Amino acid sequence: MSNAMEATTDRSAFRSTTPSAVTAAPAAPHAATSHEGEAPVLSVRDLNVSFASEAGTVRAVRGMNFDLYRGKTLGIVGESGSGKSVTSMSIMGLLDSNAHVEGSITWHGEELLTKNDLAMSKIRGKGIAMVFQDPLSALTPVFSIGDQIKESLVIHNPHMGERQIRDRSIELLELVGIPEPEERLKSFPYQFSGGMRQRVMIAMAIANDPDVIIADEPTTALDVTIQAQVLDVLKKAQQETGAAVIFITHDLGVIAGIADDIIVMYTGRPVESAPVDDIFAHPAMPYTMGLLGAVPRSDRERSGRLVPIPGSPTNLVDLPKGCPFADRCPLAIDICRQREPNLEAIPGRPGQFAACHRAGEIVEKGLTFSDVYQVSEGVTSKFAGVAREDRAVALDVQGLVKTFPLTAGGFLRRKIGEVHAVDGVNLEIREGETLALVGESGSGKSTTLSEIMSFTKPQAGSVTIFDTPVDDHVARAKRRELRGMVQYIFQDPMSSLDPRLPIYDILAEPLRAQHKSREEIRVRIEELMTLVELNPDQVDRFPTQFSGGQRQRIAIARALAVSPKLLLLDEPVSALDVSIQAGVINLLEDLQNKLGIAYLFVAHNLSVVRHISNRIAVMYLGRIVESGSTAEVFLHPKHPYTQALLSAVPVPDPAIERRRARTVLQGELPSPSETFTGCPFAGRCPLFVSLSKEAQQRCLNERPGLTARADTDPDHLAACHWV
Amino acid sequence: MIKYILKRCFNYVIMLFIATSMTYFLASAFMDPRSNYMSRHPHPPIASINRSLDLANINDQTPVIVRYGRWLTGIVTRWNWGLSPEQSPINGAIAPRILASVQLVTVATVLSIIFGVSIGVYTAIRQYKWQDRTLNSIATFFLVIPTAVLGLVIVYLAVSMNNGIGQRIFYVTGLHSYSGGNPFAWFLDLLQHLVLPTIVMTIPGTVSYHLTQRTYLLDTMNADYVRTARAKGLPLNKAIRRHALRTSLIPTAVDVAFSIASIFTGAVITETVFAINGLGSYFVQAIGDNDINGSVAIAAFGGVCTLTGALLADIFSAWLDPRIRLS
Repeated sequence: MSNAMEATTDRSAFRSTTPSAVTAAPAAPHAATSHEGEAPVLSVRDLNVSFASEAGTVRAVRGMNFDLYRGKTLGIVGESGSGKSVTSMSIMGLLDSNAHVEGSITWHGEELLTKNDLAMSKIRGKGIAMVFQDPLSALTPVFSIGDQIKESLVIHNPHMGERQIRDRSIELLELVGIPEPEERLKSFPYQFSGGMRQRVMIAMAIANDPDVIIADEPTTALDVTIQAQVLDVLKKAQQETGAAVIFITHDLGVIAGIADDIIVMYTGRPVESAPVDDIFAHPAMPYTMGLLGAVPRSDRERSGRLVPIPGSPTNLVDLPKGCPFADRCPLAIDICRQREPNLEAIPGRPGQFAACHRAGEIVEKGLTFSDVYQVSEGVTSKFAGVAREDRAVALDVQGLVKTFPLTAGGFLRRKIGEVHAVDGVNLEIREGETLALVGESGSGKSTTLSEIMSFTKPQAGSVTIFDTPVDDHVARAKRRELRGMVQYIFQDPMSSLDPRLPIYDILAEPLRAQHKSREEIRVRIEELMTLVELNPDQVDRFPTQFSGGQRQRIAIARALAVSPKLLLLDEPVSALDVSIQAGVINLLEDLQNKLGIAYLFVAHNLSVVRHISNRIAVMYLGRIVESGSTAEVFLHPKHPYTQALLSAVPVPDPAIERRRARTVLQGELPSPSETFTGCPFAGRCPLFVSLSKEAQQRCLNERPGLTARADTDPDHLAACHWV
Repeated sequence: MIKYILKRCFNYVIMLFIATSMTYFLASAFMDPRSNYMSRHPHPPIASINRSLDLANINDQTPVIVRYGRWLTGIVTRWNWGLSPEQSPINGAIAPRILASVQLVTVATVLSIIFGVSIGVYTAIRQYKWQDRTLNSIATFFLVIPTAVLGLVIVYLAVSMNNGIGQRIFYVTGLHSYSGGNPFAWFLDLLQHLVLPTIVMTIPGTVSYHLTQRTYLLDTMNADYVRTARAKGLPLNKAIRRHALRTSLIPTAVDVAFSIASIFTGAVITETVFAINGLGSYFVQAIGDNDINGSVAIAAFGGVCTLTGALLADIFSAWLDPRIRLS
């Protein structure tokens, strides 16, 4: 409780010390972006939210302040546990009953925090609407889309007639870009894809022309191509309604193109806020710098090692006395550990505020990311200087096919068709290199991995691991040796480690399977812990006692235990926070250089792929549509699908985001059960539309092969007739 | 939908036939009606034992497949489920008992569902509040009381009440005691008999539906789509009732459907306490008497109940959840 008192006094101190920056709303940095005379739609003042938990009081939000104006978009950025979602839920009044909320939230001057559930429900959906993160679970599965849109209208307009409701529903669905809206009203959520459901969520949110829309990570669960579509819909919805938008995200790229102002949160506290251009061009708080610098960029060639923010996110239960970021901050000095800094205006930077004792110094000296964070030395590759052709082939996949039967009927299941999950895939990975497999969800990336991992003869085609073809008749001893050569790392380190086994046993398991002696195992585990940069003394702890990044390191150590030659990595960093991600990527790079392991890297994050991979293969509906060296494919993408995929990736730079024209793909990935005689991409292809009739016929009737063009790099292949 | 139901019914008839036939073979293998006669001192002449067993088509010296053929022909051609070892027809014994059980069980089951689900919903919405804690404690209390004890307590209370008032309001044995021709008087008499056993059977039923429905609703109550409904402007209670309740009823419907058979045969303790000749006591008696035909007939009836329940559960789930309807 004494902490809360301290925070409160701090804030009042802050208010009195910053009178000049903003006159209208002293505690609200956002008033700075010139809104003379206009009253804010929503004002948040001194918001503090805490939860009682078994471990103690979790102080989820501390001292949040902002003003929101009509037609403007405020981006709130932060990692998990930074308090961004809790802030939005307190505005909606949807926090759990064990939440303790202090401060003030006013909507058109009306105080919201004192209202009860019934009074708030009059405002929710009408004045303030919300779009949630996971569209798959956000719609009630047992009601039709039409019923759910109707409900949002009827709640606030009980006298609306059937006819009016129908017309308005169709109008809304058209607005968010759902084809054949009359028909779709009768559909149920399970008949819609994730992107379509998110459109429906947006339609419901804008149904009553709200003046505030809160979007909480609205595109995080979607593919990049669909993300681009949904962001466009959201922008359009904002233009239609003139609403103010609060856009919450952890992805700086997404927010660069959509926000006017940005607040960066860390451990429940706003640590920096500024107009979007300022925050991306010259951040003043070391944490913001770290966030911006730690992510690889898809629009730039890889320039060197990533620079992770050291340490792991601060525990919200016992916050340190001083700045919560001090333990991870390279610039921390004594005062940082003694007193928490206030969010203060930065002299000479109108509209920019930072909570950092050394902000003035940073601005004065013009310190940037590379001055603040230490770039560590990478390891030189074991294979440096050895030409690719001279390295052994770690994995050779030729014409791999995997189909799943489609069945129908009750008592006796009959087969009515086939899903071609993987359809003639060729891959070649050599020692010490990384091949990235990219594509939308449903393109067959993970099925390809599990087919390679299954060590059984594929339905068609061949899998060869270091010159040993995988066959059903491989001798037992040979098979065990093969298994030791190939290891798998999963996406989610929370669920891939048994929570009831101490780390020692987790790491010993693969070694015991290889019949290693007790002493060998002990020595090896110590080696492994050092290799993944964890303290070897912590082997008696359980996975829950580690943070997400550390757990992924343990998963990596487990995979390395048997000294594999090939690692299959299925989205290894996508479950990790941005500040942690860079460290794990660096570790993977170092390990590859040290040990010469080959990686098959499946990821949807193209920025990470561009950073980490040497070669890339783009998959679409079970086939590879383009492959080549990463640098070449990113610089000169040939296939229209690759071009669209690359253009959909948001870039964390507002200037570029505003300037560039984006190829937004129409429609969604077709169902894999559909059969195509021609090119499966033709239905969504931006190039197809511009072709002549005869040329289009060729696309529809003839399937393009994966070929290189005579005048370019023979290594760069694409499956399109027209490149 | 109709086509789906017909298809299901057809599947069920086949399953029922297989299950009943298997029960017949199992019962014939394990039950030994000959021992009924051999245990007498002195036992009747072997020839007369064989004759009696042959009459009931349960002689272990006849190959089982021949007996099965006769038994099946009897059912298919004459709807005759055979004779007990004492030569009394099964049809005549089982029909009135089914009737008695239906009278006894129906009201109790319906009331259990209504009370149980309502209390479950009421307590789920008020999780950890005093109403929830109180009702949960009461439920746990009744959960640990055996039916026989509960039955005797209620009989004791009813008898004291009858004595106190000086008039017989509640009957504590049987289902009927009126033998006149007035239908109203007959019905009133039935009610007077039914009230007590119904209470005894309703309480445990209510308790179990209360506890399971509470859990099911708690599972769906915190779903993302309930939050969406609240974000659209529905107050908490309305959002739960409209969006969470429907999906949480599906598992309850399945529970109810599959418990129908055991409700009939499991009422044996209540039947014993209130001296009612129902199906439960008949089942126990048939097994004790090595009554092959009787046991198989009850198994068949149980099968019919279960499959009817399953069909109802399917239809009800399809009505609640559109994803089932269309697949």
